[in-house]
Formats: sequence, C-alpha cells, structure tokens
Amino acid sequence: MFGFLKQVGDYTREAVQAAKYIGQGMAVTFDHMRRRPITVQYPYEKLIPSERFRGRIHFEFDKCISCEVCVRVCPINLPVVDYTYNTAMKKKELKSYSIDFGVCIFCGNCVEYCPTNCLSMTEEYDLATYDRHDLNFDNVALGRMPYKVTDDPMVTPIRELAYLPKGVINGHEAPHTAPRAGKRPEDILEELEAAATTTATDS
Amino acid sequence: MEAAQGIDLQRATVALLSQWGVPLTVAQVLWMLLPMVAIVLVATVGALVCTWLERKISAAAQQRIGPEYAGPFGLAIPVADVAKLLVKGNLVPASADPLLFSLAPAIVFISVFLCYLVVPFGQNLLISNLGTGIFFIIAISSIAPIGLLMAGYASNNKYSLLGGLRAAAQSISYEIPLALAALAVAMMSNGLDTVQIVHQQEGLGILTWNVWRQPVGFGIFLIAALAECERMPFDLPEAEEELVAGYQTEYAGANFMLFYGGSYANLFLAGLLVAVMYLGGWSLPIPIEAIGQTLGIAPTQPLWQVVAALLGITMMLLKTFAFLFFAILLRWTVPRVRIDQLLDLGWKFLLPIGLANLLVTAALKLAFPVAFGG
Amino acid sequence: MLMAAGLGEKLAGLGSLSLAEGTQVGVLVILAALVTASAMGVVLLSNIVYSAFLLGFTFLGIAGMYLLLNADFVAAAQVLIYVGAVNVLILFAIMLVNKRQEYKPLKLGNLRNAIAGLVCLGLFGLLLVTVTTVPWNVTTRISRLPSTTVAIAQHFFTDYLLPFELASVLLLVALVGAIVLARREFIPETSPLGYPDEESLELVERPLQQLPAGSQVKN
Repeated sequence: MFGFLKQVGDYTREAVQAAKYIGQGMAVTFDHMRRRPITVQYPYEKLIPSERFRGRIHFEFDKCISCEVCVRVCPINLPVVDYTYNTAMKKKELKSYSIDFGVCIFCGNCVEYCPTNCLSMTEEYDLATYDRHDLNFDNVALGRMPYKVTDDPMVTPIRELAYLPKGVINGHEAPHTAPRAGKRPEDILEELEAAATTTATDS
Repeated sequence: MEAAQGIDLQRATVALLSQWGVPLTVAQVLWMLLPMVAIVLVATVGALVCTWLERKISAAAQQRIGPEYAGPFGLAIPVADVAKLLVKGNLVPASADPLLFSLAPAIVFISVFLCYLVVPFGQNLLISNLGTGIFFIIAISSIAPIGLLMAGYASNNKYSLLGGLRAAAQSISYEIPLALAALAVAMMSNGLDTVQIVHQQEGLGILTWNVWRQPVGFGIFLIAALAECERMPFDLPEAEEELVAGYQTEYAGANFMLFYGGSYANLFLAGLLVAVMYLGGWSLPIPIEAIGQTLGIAPTQPLWQVVAALLGITMMLLKTFAFLFFAILLRWTVPRVRIDQLLDLGWKFLLPIGLANLLVTAALKLAFPVAFGG
Repeated sequence: MLMAAGLGEKLAGLGSLSLAEGTQVGVLVILAALVTASAMGVVLLSNIVYSAFLLGFTFLGIAGMYLLLNADFVAAAQVLIYVGAVNVLILFAIMLVNKRQEYKPLKLGNLRNAIAGLVCLGLFGLLLVTVTTVPWNVTTRISRLPSTTVAIAQHFFTDYLLPFELASVLLLVALVGAIVLARREFIPETSPLGYPDEESLELVERPLQQLPAGSQVKN
C-alpha cells in the first residue's frame, strides 16, 4: 500500500521536476529574445574581413620571374605558369599566368613562398559566378585591384567581433573607423622604440 | 447581462438587402454566403499571421531579424509565400496514386476549416452555435488523420508512409487526453457549446477564468493540443532528420500549401480553443459590464455594443497569440521526443491524469456548486 | 428506409418547396448518392486501400444523415468513433500488413454468385415489404429539440441504463483483452535471467580477420 503511494509520489516529483526544467529552458529562450539581433544584412551591410584574411589572390605580372615556386608549393600544383625561355637574354619571359579559384583552397602557400612578392592575398571573397569556368582567373583578372568593403558607397561596413572597440559586442553599435580594443602593432612598436630611447638616455 | 453584446448581424443584413429591393429568400441566401466567406477569411488570415509570427519569434529567439524587406516588418511575406506556392508546378510523382494524392490535402484542409464553424469571437460572432460545440471540433478534427494516411500511402514513398502512420498514431493517442480535458470543462459549464463555456467564465473577469479552476486540465489540454498540431516537441510525423518531411515529402506547389496552411490553421484553432475553454474567450480581465457601469454607459447603446464587440475580438486574438507565442517559444526550447516517449506521455501520463482530473472536477462540482458550476 | 419514404413524399411535394426544405431534399439526395456509391465501392473495388478510404466516406455520409434527422450528437459521435477511430485503425492495419496475395478463383463461382444474389434479392424484397407496409408517421413540421445531448444522457441513465452499462462492460473486457494480448507474458519465460539473451544482439557475420601489417591484400 505504502509502496504504491511512494511510487505515485516519486512519479509526481519527477513530473514536477521535468516541468521545472522545461520552464527553466523556456526562460533561457525568452531571455534570448531581448538581445539585439546580430544579423548582417549581406548585400547592404558587409563584414570587414579580418587583418590576415585569405581571399582572392592578386598577381602582379611585371614582378613575376616565372620561377614556378608557387606551383611547387601548391598542394595540387594549381597555378599555370606559361613562359618561354628567351635565349638571347638568358631569361624566362612570362606569357600568361592563371589560377583556378574553383579548385584553389586558399591555403596561401604560393603567397608565402613567392620570392618576388608578386602574389598577395586580398579581402575579396564573393567570387560567385554562373559558370565554374569563369572562376579560372588569368593574369588580367588576377591583376585587377581588389574590391574593398570600406570603399563601396553602397555598403555599410561592419567590424567583426574581434576588431570592435572595448565594451562593444555588436558591430552595428560602433562606426567601422573606431579603433579596436588593445594596441595595434604600430602602437606597440612606437612604445618599444620610446622605451628603448628612454633606457638609452638613462644609461 | 445576457444580451449585452447582442447585435443581430443577420437580421440587419437581411433587412438592408430587402430595402434595396432584393427578395427575402435571395437576401437570406446571400446572408448565408457571408459567414462562409468570413470563416474562410478568418482561418486563412489567422494561418498567414501564424506563419509570420513563427518566423519573427523564431528569429528573435535566435538573435536574428527574420523577414524584413517584404512590407513593414516583413508583414507581406506570407502573401509572397502563397503567391510563390500558387505559381509553382503542382507535381504528382509518376508512381504515385494521382487521385488519392490530390484528395489527401483537401481532406486535411477541409477538416481543419470546418472546426472554425463553432469558434466564437463574441456573443453572436460565430457561424453556428451548435449544441455539441467542443465535441463537434474534436470529432471533425479526427478526420484529418485519414487525409494524412492517404497522403502517406498515395505518395508511394516510405518516408511519407511512415510519416502518415506516425501522424495517425499520434493524433489518435492525443485525442483522448484532449477530449478528457475538454470534458472536465464541459462538465463545469453544463454543456458542450462554446458560447456557454465562455459565459460560465465571465462572472468576475480574470478571477473566474477556467485556468484557475482547471489548472491540471489546462496543462493536459496544452500538451495534447500541441501534439494534435504536430508542433515541435511532438513533430514526429515530419521529423526532418529522419523522415525528410514525413507525409509532405512528395508534395509541391498548391497541394503542399494546403498541408502547410492547414497545419498553421490548426495551430491557430488550438490557440482559439485554449482561449475559449480556459482563458475566458472574448471576455476582458475586468468584466465589460463593470467598465460600462463605471463609465456610465447603458449596455444597450449601439456604439458601446460595437466597441464591446471589437474589444471582445481583440481579447480573443490576444489570448490566441499568447498561446502561439508559447508554442513557438517551446519549439526553440525543447528537443523532439521519441515515438515511444510520445506514446508513453500520452497513454501513461496524460490519460490517467486526465481521468483523475475529471473525477476531481466532478467531486468538486458536487461539493462546491458555486465555484464549479453547479 | 425512413429516409427513402421521406424522400418519396418530399419529391411529391417538390413543386411548393421553401428554401430550407429544398436544401434538405438536395442534401438528402447528395448524401444518399454518396453513401450508396461509396458503399458499392467498398464492396466492388479490388484495391483494399481504396475500399478502406471509401468506407470513411460511407461513415461520413451516414453522419450527414444523422444531422438531417436532427441528431447532432449522434452525428458527431459517428464521425469521432467510426471515421476518426475505426476507419483509421482499419487503414493502419492494412498499411502495416504489407501482404500481396493472389486469390484463386473459387470452384462453382457462378453458382455461389447466384445464391448470394438470391439472398440479397430476398433481403431487399423483405425490406421493401416492410417499408411499404409500415405506416410511417412522417410529420412535415420540423421541431427543434432543445439539446439532443441532454436527452440522450437522460435516456442512458434512466430507461437504457442496463444496455449502457453492459456496453461499458463489453468495452472493458475488450480493453483487458487488448492489454493481455499486448503484454505477452510468455516472453520473459524464455530467458530465465529476466533480460533477453545477449546472443540476439550479436551480428550474424563473423568479424573480419585482422591482416598482419605489411602483408599484401590478395584479390
């Protein structure tokens, strides 16, 4: 008899507990409703890519010495370097250069190893095309100046979380020109130099 | 206070039409069309608003914005959805059963819309005051599983069939606790019709609403109504991770819209039922007669009656949207239950508690006839 | 059959119909057609799923007939129980039992058909005689009942108490029977330890043999 009552009691307690936990969960969900949305309205607002963002690769034709280091360091030997050997000048002459961004994984090895710095990373990331063959950029396309979010008058640039001023957690709340929290590398350099000069004068 | 909000729309319309030289019989037929159009409009607009609310509240719960560019606050997004679905091709799979395939959404849709017949928005603001009000709704909404089974079978797709079977099992299991909860309320109001249920709660405003007298029944009804609508904790029939989209998998275009609109109309209906049965229907938290008396307005004044009717409709919608808000919030809080947990909850938890609630209500009604509708 | 008699009378007086009566006759004709056609479909169609769905339409038509006879509670109960529960369960059973079976033509099929037809004709004749001989007391006056629910409840708890209780006992027996069937007490006896054998959980295939490192896989 009392065993049965205990069973009923336990069952009731469990049911009440379950209801309590669901209530707690709903309180959490409800609490989220009063937070500001973090949506970035993409074509009208765009996030500024981070400082070391690896976007579309930019290529400067005149700097290239056709050494093919980029091809060798590429995980899939992607860059196509088309050159002829000019016997009179004893130099390689670059005819064309292309990278297929439909295949590229943006690892940045080519940029890292290029001896003449003719390859560089840009902030460009919206490369969508109607035909995948359009993604095969030749040296003309690779040489175009990169698009910058901050230069586009149609777009409101928004800072990413790590680049916001101190205390701000939403990109919409601060202008994109506001300095980010912490010191920038040039500030640190300046400080170090100042410290070095003071110690030098002290001694 | 019986006829406090008694505006006889029917007589007025027929009289007006007769004045314009329309024969009396034709005027009566024309009047019959009016509520029919009204019910379809109310249910459709309700379902459309539901989809908008679902998107906006879901977005808010996830710190998104939700639809924004179609109309102010994205209010035109349901219209855009409907337009899109209407112009989409109405695909019927090659190996499907074409007749049953197109019949199934119609059955589901009609069974949901028929239930709106007895939902009152005011003293006289309902299509038909049937004596069997709540029972009628429960009976008609039990036709829907046939449509779901039909859709599942006709699609010739194993996911669809599983979804249809699950939908039918779920809605049969949860109809019983739903009916038991409704029965306790009906017992308190000495009748099944919806107007009487609201009247019985009207006495002292918010204090005499059925929520306070039937807290357990309220909980049972909420859970069972969510399960009947196949809402989130119980959306097994269309569990997208397991069953693609359940019985809707093969549907496209207008047929899909019937299912989708039907499910939201069903949700809206559940909200209206919760409002009618437990939250005092169209009555205000403070009785409208008391407000009229303090303002010194006679209850028979036509303008006051119109204001009162409008207030009643607003209250009804507010209570319904409170339920919808709860349902959507719950959707983003709790995970989906398994099928065995679902049936466990229905048969081993809600059913015994519903029976006990019915018994306790009967006992209380005999013991305290004043508070529990003698 | 009451309906049929009523229909005859109403068709006779079709010339002087009011709006309500006209609607009633129209609805009656539609419902009768629906019930008859779908009932024929249930019997005659070879696809059992179609038959089951058509059965639902028959039940709905009957519910409509009850509505025409001012029995709204019975109509709602008909929809709830026959359409919402019985028919759904029939469909469930059909869809869970996925068995395709070819039926062999029976011996003496024509003779059987003839006998069945005779029995049906006899029944029909009997009903026809009953319909024509009973003096149906059809009143043209349509009385509005206060509430059928209350009237039914009063009958249940006064003069029909015994059948009502017997029906509930029958349902209880069915319920207990279902539980007994569903519980299957004999299953635990097969495993003396109280839990199912672990062997049943094992895969039938043998585990793959580990290959020594460096060995070549022969095709």
